Amino acid sequence: MSRPKLLALLCLAMAVASALAVEPRPLAIAIHGGAGVIDPAKMTPQRAASYRAGLAAALDAGYAILERGGSSLDAVTAAVRTMEDDPQFNAGRGAVLNHEGDAELDAALMDGHGPRAGAVAGVRHVRNPVELARLVMERSPHVLLVAEGAEEFALEQGMVLVPRGYFRTEARVRELDEARQTEALQLKAAAPGATGTVGAVALDRAGHLAAATSTGGLTNKHRGRVGDSPIVGAGTYADDASCAVSGTGQGEFFIRQVVAYDVCALLQYRHLTLAQAVREVIHEKLRASGGEGGVIAVDRSGNIAMDFNSVGMFRGARDSRGRRDIAMYRDAQ
Amino acid sequence: MHSKPSGSANRYAIAIHGGAGAVPRAMLSEQREQRYRAGLEAALDGGFALLERGGSSLDAVSAAVRILEDDPSFNAGHGAALTRDGAAELDAAIMDGRQLRAGAVASVRHVRNPIELARRVMEKSRHVLLVGAGAEEFALEENFALVPNRYFRTVERQEQLECEQRGQRVSDLVPSSQGTVGAVALDGDGNLAAATSTGGMTNKRPGRVGDSPIIGAGTYAKNGVCAVSATGHGEYFIRAVAAHHVCAAVEYRGLDLQQAVHEMLHEILAALGGDGGLIAVGRDGQIVMDFSTEGMFRGARDSGGRREIAIY
Repeated sequence: MSRPKLLALLCLAMAVASALAVEPRPLAIAIHGGAGVIDPAKMTPQRAASYRAGLAAALDAGYAILERGGSSLDAVTAAVRTMEDDPQFNAGRGAVLNHEGDAELDAALMDGHGPRAGAVAGVRHVRNPVELARLVMERSPHVLLVAEGAEEFALEQGMVLVPRGYFRTEARVRELDEARQTEALQLKAAAPGATGTVGAVALDRAGHLAAATSTGGLTNKHRGRVGDSPIVGAGTYADDASCAVSGTGQGEFFIRQVVAYDVCALLQYRHLTLAQAVREVIHEKLRASGGEGGVIAVDRSGNIAMDFNSVGMFRGARDSRGRRDIAMYRDAQ
Repeated sequence: MHSKPSGSANRYAIAIHGGAGAVPRAMLSEQREQRYRAGLEAALDGGFALLERGGSSLDAVSAAVRILEDDPSFNAGHGAALTRDGAAELDAAIMDGRQLRAGAVASVRHVRNPIELARRVMEKSRHVLLVGAGAEEFALEENFALVPNRYFRTVERQEQLECEQRGQRVSDLVPSSQGTVGAVALDGDGNLAAATSTGGMTNKRPGRVGDSPIIGAGTYAKNGVCAVSATGHGEYFIRAVAAHHVCAAVEYRGLDLQQAVHEMLHEILAALGGDGGLIAVGRDGQIVMDFSTEGMFRGARDSGGRREIAIY
C-alpha cells in the first residue's frame, strides 16, 4: 500500500473514531405513576406539585444511574423503588387496600438482555416488591412466586419483612371505606392515584433494555386478585431485540390482550415505529375491548412513547438528547 | 410434526396433551403405557363428543382437562406433583378465543378441579387471575366444595418427591415435572378455546407459579388465529410469552401454524435453553402437536375422521 493511501486510511479511521466518541449511545428512561380517571377538577395545585415532585424524584434517580454508566435494570429498579416508598403512589407504602383492608402487592421486572424476568404477586409484608421480584430473577430458577411462598423466599434471601400496617395510609383507608359503601370495585378513582400503578422502562449505554412495574392493584379488590403488573407479557416486558414496556390501567384487559408483548411484536414483526405500535395497542385494540389505561415504552434507539386512552397518566421522560419532562394529562400539563 | 396439510379444513377439531418430558421408552411398561393411552383417549373422546353434538370449544376443552385432572396418572388435579413441603399446589387457566375472555387460578390447594374454578373466574368475576387463599375464598363464594389436600396426593407422587429430595433424578415414568395437561379446540361455530392445568414441578418451592395459568405464556386463544396450550419448563415459556408468540407469528407474519410452533420450540425456546411441547389448533381446524423433549403424551381428533393418540 502506498504511503498516501495509508495516510488517507489512517485519517478516515481517526475520523470514524472521533465521530463515535462525540456521539455516545443514547440513554433514555420513562416512568409512570398510573393512569385512570384522575379527575382534573379534583387536582389542586398543591397536589399536582406533590405528584410532580414524586415523579421527578423517581425519574432523576433512575436517570442518574444511566448517566454514570449503570444498567437499565438498576435504573428501572431505582425509579420504581422510589415510587414504592412514596405514599402518594399505588405501590409499596400507600398502596390501595383490598376488601379485607390489606395491601396485597404485585411487581415484576424484566431484563431485555437474556431475556430474563422475575415477579411476585399477592405479597403482604415486603417493603419493596420490585426488589423481591429482582431477587426471584437473580437468585431463583423461577420467574413468578406468589403469596406466602414468595415471602418465605424473601426471608431465605435475608429480607426483613414489615407488618401490614406499614403500607396502610389514612388516605387509602378512607378510599376503601368509600369503595365498600358503593361496593364499586372499579377504576373510577375516589381520589387521584387509586389506580396509580408505577413503572419504569429504560435503555442503557450498553444497549440493554429493561422494564419494571409495581402495584397494589385495585381498591376493594378480591383477596388474591392479580392484575397485569406481575404478568410478563401483559403489564411488563423487555427484549433487547425490540422494546421495553410497562403498563397501567384495567389489568384484566391488559392480561387478555397481552399488551406489553404485543407492542414489541408489532414493532418487531409489523415494523411499526414505537409510537405507532403503542397507539395501535392502546387506542385501537385495548379501546375496542373496552379496556382503559396506558403504557410507557422505549426502543433500542432510545425513542420513548407514552400514551393512554384514559383521562390522564402520571408520567415522566428523560434522555441523553436533553429531554426531561413530567406530565399528567393529555395536553402535557 | 403431526399436522394435517393446510387446505383440508376441519369443521371442528380437538387436541390434548398430558405433558412432555423424558419418557424413556424402555422404562414405560406395556401396562403403564396402556393406562396413559386409556386416560388420553377418555379425555380426547370426552371433549370430541361435545364438539360433535354442536357444543362449544370452551366446553370441550373444559371437559377434556377435567378428565385428565381426575386421572391420577397425570400431573394435574388428583395425582398432581408435590411441592417440597409435600403438598399439591395447583394452577390452571382457560381462554375463550371469541372475546379474548380468560380465567386463571394459581397456587390453590383445595380445589378438586382447578380448571372449573378458572372458568368460574372468567365467567363470574371481573378478574382474570386469582391466587392462593383468595382464589379459594372465591371458590367458596361460588359454592365449590373444597377438598383436603390429601385428596390430590398419591403414593407414586410421594415416592417421586422422596426420590427427588434424596437427590436422585426423577424419571418421568409417571409424567412428573413436566406432566402438565391441556387441550385446544375449534368448534363448529368457528370459536377457538384453550385450557391448561398443572401441579407444576415435583419438589417445587411453595408459591412457584409456572406458565400454565399465565395468559399468553402457557395458554392462549384468539378467534381467527389459533388456540395454544403448552407444557414444559414453565419459566422459559413465560419469558418467551410462548403461546401468544405463536399466535402473533401467525397473525403478524403470516406463518403457517406448524412453522410458528416449530420456531417457538426449536429456535426461540431452544436458544433460551428450555424444552417442552405445544399443541395448537388453527382457525381452519389444522392441528399441530410438537415437542423438543423425548416424548409428549398427546391426542388429536377432528371432524375429518382423524383420531390418534401418541407418546413418542
